[in-house]
Amino acid sequence: MAYAIELQNITKRFPGVIANDQVTILVGEGEIHGLIGENGAGKSTIMNILYGLTQADEGIVRIFGKEQFIASPNDAIRLGIGMIHQHFMLMPNQTVLRNIILGSAPRKGPVIDEKKARIQIEKIMEKYCMQVNLDAVVSQISVGEKQKVEIIKALYREVRILILDEPTAVLTPAETDALIETMRKLKEQGCTIVFITHKLKEVLAATDRVTVMRKGVVTGFGETKDMNVRKLSELIVGREVNFDIPFGAYCPGETLLELSGVSTAPRGGRMPVKEINLKVKRGEIVGVAGVEGNGQSDLIEVIAGLIAADRGGITLCEKDISKLSIRQRRLNGLSHIPEDRLKTGTSTVCSISENLLLNKYFLTPFSRHGIFNHRHIKQHSKLLCDKFLVKTPDPSYELKTLSGGNMQKVVFAREFDTEPSLMIAAQPTRGVDIGAIEYIHGKLAELRDSGKGILLISAELDEIMALSDRILVMYEGEIVAEFHRGEADEYEIGAYMLGAKRQVAHSG
Amino acid sequence: MDKGSLNKKEPIKKKDLMKIKEAIWQNKRVMDSLKLVGKQVAMTLVAVLIVMIFLAASGFSPDAVLIGLNRAITKDIAGSVRWAAPLMLAGVAVCIPFKAAVFNLGVDGQIYMGAIAASTVMLALPEELGKWGLLAAFLAAMVGGALFALIAAAMKVYFNTDMIVSTLLLNFVAKLFTEYIAADALRDADAAIQMNASKMFPESMWLPRLAYFAPSSANVGIYIAIAITLITAFIFYKTTLGYEIKLVGTNPNFARYGGMNANRVILKTMALSGAVAGLIGVIEVSAVQHRLLAGFNPSFGFDGIVVSLLANNNPFGVIFTSLFFGILKNGGSNMERLTEVPQVITQITMAIIIITVSSNIVVRKIKLRRRMKKDGSGSAV
Ligand SMILES: Nc1ncnc2c1ncn2[C@@H]1O[C@H](COP(=O)(O)OP(=O)(O)OP(=O)(O)O)[C@@H](O)[C@H]1O
Ligand SMILES: [Mg+2]
Repeated sequence: MAYAIELQNITKRFPGVIANDQVTILVGEGEIHGLIGENGAGKSTIMNILYGLTQADEGIVRIFGKEQFIASPNDAIRLGIGMIHQHFMLMPNQTVLRNIILGSAPRKGPVIDEKKARIQIEKIMEKYCMQVNLDAVVSQISVGEKQKVEIIKALYREVRILILDEPTAVLTPAETDALIETMRKLKEQGCTIVFITHKLKEVLAATDRVTVMRKGVVTGFGETKDMNVRKLSELIVGREVNFDIPFGAYCPGETLLELSGVSTAPRGGRMPVKEINLKVKRGEIVGVAGVEGNGQSDLIEVIAGLIAADRGGITLCEKDISKLSIRQRRLNGLSHIPEDRLKTGTSTVCSISENLLLNKYFLTPFSRHGIFNHRHIKQHSKLLCDKFLVKTPDPSYELKTLSGGNMQKVVFAREFDTEPSLMIAAQPTRGVDIGAIEYIHGKLAELRDSGKGILLISAELDEIMALSDRILVMYEGEIVAEFHRGEADEYEIGAYMLGAKRQVAHSG
Repeated sequence: MDKGSLNKKEPIKKKDLMKIKEAIWQNKRVMDSLKLVGKQVAMTLVAVLIVMIFLAASGFSPDAVLIGLNRAITKDIAGSVRWAAPLMLAGVAVCIPFKAAVFNLGVDGQIYMGAIAASTVMLALPEELGKWGLLAAFLAAMVGGALFALIAAAMKVYFNTDMIVSTLLLNFVAKLFTEYIAADALRDADAAIQMNASKMFPESMWLPRLAYFAPSSANVGIYIAIAITLITAFIFYKTTLGYEIKLVGTNPNFARYGGMNANRVILKTMALSGAVAGLIGVIEVSAVQHRLLAGFNPSFGFDGIVVSLLANNNPFGVIFTSLFFGILKNGGSNMERLTEVPQVITQITMAIIIITVSSNIVVRKIKLRRRMKKDGSGSAV
């Protein structure tokens, strides 16, 4: 078999960790290769080495059989390698078209020939059945579309090897299916694909062969057809994973959070919510299902206090919080895992412990009269990192040195640590590995069983169905259906999500 | 020695090696800063070399710059200290709001307002108050500078005015206002020659000069500047305000999500910045000029931007870069006095040094900002 990519004995060290330790990955020509493993296993790192974003300390890289030294992404692009990053790298204020041609635009003399580029791109979009509005500004388009833009950008550079780093973490199930379809089409055209994901279902559905990594070393590889969920999860975490969430019995108590007739004002490019009525009781997880962009963002932000309600009342523990500031709401027992961990949930250039400190920095014993007690802060962040499985040698490192899933754990740790009475959990397990999902789900269940309430918003129907005692379906800013656990299956909920069906009345 | 013990020894050795390696990694920050310092020194030498070539090419003796700089660090070190004090404060005044991603280009204006407030107080209070009068002048200067800085900050907060533009334009207002105050409102009516300057302040209220450096005008200001810089470092690294500033400066969305009020942070940093700028005003008029001279400020505010930038907005760095700038400034005037190189050429040579030394830092900054802009799109995962 001819190999498109041969990574031989790659070693890469970062301060305090060995991200890749003698890693060997072989990817055959024209195959879809799954790369899976825990958070911080070194998947992104080795792909960054392949794409020239960092250089290996030791080891050999061969592309199509020839040894190569890839010093920069330019070298990689020249070799026909394209990469779509875990965290997108688009210019937010430019149009889609400009983002696609950036760096390799066709020229007419000294000026860029946008017309020619447009024709070329439209051809690509037709060939792979991907449509995006080329004149839209990137900051205005949805996550799924951003991803398409990244793929088109790579195709425009005529890649023969495409690396996709956790592309499905942010996609809806339908978008994921479409992406897998696109990957198959690319494969038919002779393209080699490396596909990183934490979702075993996708691995089994889309890939030809897999490599599994753990703690910087390869723990297994082989044909996908010889694998199953159990085998893969054992290779990933080194033990059996329990997919059943250990819940206590469902016995809801008094109402914790109540929204009555809440509407928000429409703002550029966002779906407002209309006349929302909902309740979250003690000891209850309420899941909000819906295709992304149907008002979930406004729902989350209006409760958290990031945007004001146009109409309606919000009460938390029987106290009207609709006029309170963000800080006041948090002090009243609200905690909030935001949808987008990079944009709102963290500051990547601040240290891990500074990121963990956000909700408590103004409280004793963390600070007294505005002056920090650094010793206590350090101890506390070490404790949180240990407890919530954040893999880092030292919490004083910048947050950006963490792998994507570990960043998510930092956010979760911080929000869990405030002992909230109500937690808004938006995409709480986005990008985390199966071991950590087990842990986070367990923690959410624990929170529920201790008489707290959780409002769960997730693009993943599986997660909603597994965790929620009640499921609300949102469509175009309204709640169109409500089910108790086990009352409806995915297909039924899916029909409501797409607006094909709607319950006449609901109580919330 | 048998084989077993050898085998036992191996892994221990490996472990030790790892530990050593780790220790080196841990010290990477220290190494990095040492490297940076080394680079700066090398750049300075290169800069001096370029200047010498420039001087030779313009038909002057190339060692003029050496004569000037040499005097500035030996015989006339007092002059360098004299300049370092206001530069240090200016660097701090720039770096406080900059940490919160707020650009205060109006430090000069705030210096003028501080000086006006201080002068008014010193001329209004009775001479007998002595140093108490000076203390009152210091407070007035800080309040004056802070209030003036708050104008731009309030415009930003309430009308979303661009701070770069507003702070810059307010400089002109302050400068013209100073001329009016000095040459009109507080004018010395009895003076033989009328100039753009107020009456002299009572001698009892002058800020003391450093006896050790007499007869230079180097003054207690340098101690004040160092103290203020250390206080700023304390605020940055040890207080909740510093934490808020850092968060607002690095990710305002995150700060807001955590319940911080970014506007309040902007107002606070600008008030602090203005107060520090006001200190420059009062120090310059009470220790150096002893009266309000319309043109007392050779745009310290703009030098402050470079000082702060070169120090990477780190208060400890500001101490060193401002001393460096003090030496440059003093070296320039010495060069002018001791050699036949005219003032214009001296200014050009100093500019060359500044540009060369700051070039690598500024380039790095620009690269970083570009990268940050790119990352900013990351609305995912
Ligand atoms: N710039 C850096 N400095 C220091 N450590 C780093 C840096 N980049 C990555 N690391 C460390 O290297 C290890 C591997 O990280 P990597 O991002 O490759 O993980 P990953 O397998 O992609 O995980 P995830 O599934 O969470 O994205 C992690 O422990 C991480 O903390
Ligand atoms: Mg990763």
